[in-house]
Amino acid sequence: MRDKFIFSSWISLAPALTIIMVLLGASLLYAGAESLGYVSVIGQNEISFDAYRAALDLNSEFWVSLGFSLWVSIASTLISSAVALALAVWLSERRGNTDTLALNWNLAFPHLVWSVALLLFLSQSGLFSRWAASLGLISTPAEFPVLVRDRFGIGIILSYLGKEIPFLSITILSVLRSQAVGYDVVAENLGASRWQRLRYVTIPQVMPALIAGALLVFGFIFSSYEVPALLGVGYPKALPALALRFFLDPDLRARSEGMVISLIITLIVLIVAVISLRMGERKE
Amino acid sequence: MKQGFTYLFRFLLYLILIAPLLLFAAYAFSTRWFFPQPFPIEWTVGTFQRVVHDSQTLSSMVQGVGIAFLVSVLSLLLALPAARVLGLRKFRGRQLAWLLIFIPSIVPPLAVGMGLNILFLRIGLAGTITGVVLAHIIPTLPYTIFTLSSAFARFDENYEFQALALGASPLQIFLKVTLRMITPSLVVAALFAFLISWSQYLLTLLIGGGQIITLPILLFSAASGGNPATIAALSLLFVAPPVLVLAFTARSLNQHGNEIREQY
Amino acid sequence: MKRFVFLFVVLSLILAACASPAQSASEFDINNWDSVLAAAKGQTVNWYIWGGSDSINTFVDNFYGAALKEQYDITLNRVPLADTADAVNQVLSEKQAGKEIGAVDLIWINGENFFTLKQADMLHKDWAQQLPNSQYVNWDNPAINLDFGRPVDNMESPWSSAQFQFIYDSARTNEDELPRSYNELKDWACAHPGRFTYIAPGPGGFLGTRFAKGALYEISGGAEQWLSFDQALWDQWSPELWNYFNELEPCLWRNGETYPKDESELVNLFSNNEVDLSMTNDITGAGRWITDGRMPETARAFVFDNYMIGDFNYVAIPLNAPNKAAALVLANLLLDPKLQAAQILPANGFGLGYAIDVNRVTDTTALAALQESASTLGDAATPASELAKSLVGDSAAEYQNLLEQGWQENVLQK
Repeated sequence: MRDKFIFSSWISLAPALTIIMVLLGASLLYAGAESLGYVSVIGQNEISFDAYRAALDLNSEFWVSLGFSLWVSIASTLISSAVALALAVWLSERRGNTDTLALNWNLAFPHLVWSVALLLFLSQSGLFSRWAASLGLISTPAEFPVLVRDRFGIGIILSYLGKEIPFLSITILSVLRSQAVGYDVVAENLGASRWQRLRYVTIPQVMPALIAGALLVFGFIFSSYEVPALLGVGYPKALPALALRFFLDPDLRARSEGMVISLIITLIVLIVAVISLRMGERKE
Repeated sequence: MKQGFTYLFRFLLYLILIAPLLLFAAYAFSTRWFFPQPFPIEWTVGTFQRVVHDSQTLSSMVQGVGIAFLVSVLSLLLALPAARVLGLRKFRGRQLAWLLIFIPSIVPPLAVGMGLNILFLRIGLAGTITGVVLAHIIPTLPYTIFTLSSAFARFDENYEFQALALGASPLQIFLKVTLRMITPSLVVAALFAFLISWSQYLLTLLIGGGQIITLPILLFSAASGGNPATIAALSLLFVAPPVLVLAFTARSLNQHGNEIREQY
Repeated sequence: MKRFVFLFVVLSLILAACASPAQSASEFDINNWDSVLAAAKGQTVNWYIWGGSDSINTFVDNFYGAALKEQYDITLNRVPLADTADAVNQVLSEKQAGKEIGAVDLIWINGENFFTLKQADMLHKDWAQQLPNSQYVNWDNPAINLDFGRPVDNMESPWSSAQFQFIYDSARTNEDELPRSYNELKDWACAHPGRFTYIAPGPGGFLGTRFAKGALYEISGGAEQWLSFDQALWDQWSPELWNYFNELEPCLWRNGETYPKDESELVNLFSNNEVDLSMTNDITGAGRWITDGRMPETARAFVFDNYMIGDFNYVAIPLNAPNKAAALVLANLLLDPKLQAAQILPANGFGLGYAIDVNRVTDTTALAALQESASTLGDAATPASELAKSLVGDSAAEYQNLLEQGWQENVLQK
């Protein structure tokens, strides 16, 4: 009976798993082959590590982009985690689902559209700048601070904050709401101050979920293309933007280099995801 | 005082939510709106009409809807049996199965798209609807499985056994008992599969190779420095389905919203 | 686990085996135009075309799309590109994958992109001068039979002409104060810090590349020497070019920390009063942008006294184009005198100049329309005499990459 169970279970899983493994496996296989210079169009069919050498050369743009991507992903993740924690704690003390609903509303704006909105709001001649000029605060667009398409990725970070704070808030909120009210009340009865309750009861409760969520956020930001492509500058580029630029280069030899970078991004994201999974398991 | 702060906070929250829509509307229905005018002076429906009547926009919307529809149907068909065993059964290798299903939700579309690009070119799937649909299934499937399996985890098989005892055929049981009990999750899973596909940019770009044009592709190419009025009009068209879906599923969102979010 | 790996291998093999596309093109002979028309009937022509301008897109749909359908029963599928290099990449990927039937029928192309496809042997040959309307093209003109110094070799057919110009806002800037050379431009920019920028030379930024080439011409004191490729010449003058740009940089918009990546982005900066000058390739000057509602009605075009690069642009057919007959019909239609007369009218939104030689047109109504159009370019255009006086040709295609790469390394990343 047990064996039959296993068998029938895998039969039911087979269609989904096959599709996933064939498509994903094939894509990684081809990416690997191309990164090793196996590109038939220019008659090059020998395996070589040239692309790896070129991409990882100490003077290559790769390192600049890696630094930029790390900065943007880490800053976005940390800030959104902190704000989300504060927001969730504040909201958990209130009744009603309206605010959660509001947090969910930003699902209506995919990252792409959200970034477009930020461009129109925050650019130096955007809506806020126009209002500032009407109020007499500035006289030319140049006096408005550079908030999007800036060298430091502020626009990119702002865009991710708008999307990730709600995501993390809901994650934390669902932990807080699923907990019995008990701990908090017990601590209060024992004379713990508000700050102590937060520090020793609430935060340890939500920490595993928050860290697991934050790592997913990091992985997503680190590997996504649209936002930095829209809100970033030409140099330094985010790593995914650099990978795609190489990949779409008319010079086909550059494609291998794009593949190398994309594989490195994937590797980093997978490692982070595994850590996130482990954190998630510890919570249970 | 504290109450006042709460109201103020709520007001700001809702303002932020509605602001992008107002902004897009202001840009889409005006022309020659330059710095430093705080509000548009010349209003027109001309741009919006041009964008809506543009054959490219129309075909991109039709293609986008068609692809997203196929993706959500296929994901559901693939996900149903898998979600059922994952939700109901304990079996050897269950964790491995979960892991395999989890992976595509984190492998970046960049890597998937670049890798599939050449394979699909070789086998004639590049630039076809089929190819794009297949590629979109990769990020969609995990989420449909997550959503449905949590529905099956709450599912009581005894209802099925009872129906069986009462002489119902397997098909009847599936249609009248099983499907009916998981319908809410099914709807949510289908809608979000639709949205994930509808908003895919990179996979469509890399697999569609310029032949499959969907709204995100048009919006992206306009967005980097294009005509603000066109960008805003395209944005309005682009967010219309998500806004409708959200209004429609508002109640189930607390359960499922967060599972889907990161894909888009 | 092993079972799945096996399954995956088998499935890939099956999928790969199923994929052998069938040839479907009907036969025709380019020297028998009726056979081309017959073969093209009912076909869909996939035209890969730079899509960065709304008004050009609308013009293409309204003028060529409609005419193709009505006169030849051909459906136009306009595929908008952020950069023409994307279409080149598409064709090359198809070659890499061994696809004998590709996706691209016609590409709006010139220079480097043409050169890349020609070099990869991925262009359909021997057709441009066989088109019936090719009689209106002056093929003896080196500006037409050479594309960036490379022989066209009957592999592409001209569509329109263009010349680099600047745009200013007459409500903001006095015409007398405008710079008239690259040297004056540097002084002007530093006298108005932050009020000038140029488009980053590179993919999508062909106007920026053209702007930089003009600077190279002026610095080296001549345009003709750049027509053929000479590495030594490049090595001699390029450091001075980077020098010019690096001296200009601190005076630029946002101190040259970032540059607009294409024409449209620069237009937004210009119209929103972030910078005082814009650039264009249009014979109608600022006309197309005013029609578009993208520039104030007071925008005007002007040129330096010299080194304003002008050239022709073309359409080419990839070797693996699925609908070659329809592509030929479209390429021929582009040279139709009536449509040529329509393309330069500012109100129609295309804005580029003639590819045909007006003197070769004998039909009196068509000739009258062409002359009428040429005389109604509007206030926003540069007078024809000034355009002619400052006109120079583009440089050899090899310089394109050197310049774009070099600018990235020596100016942007400095």
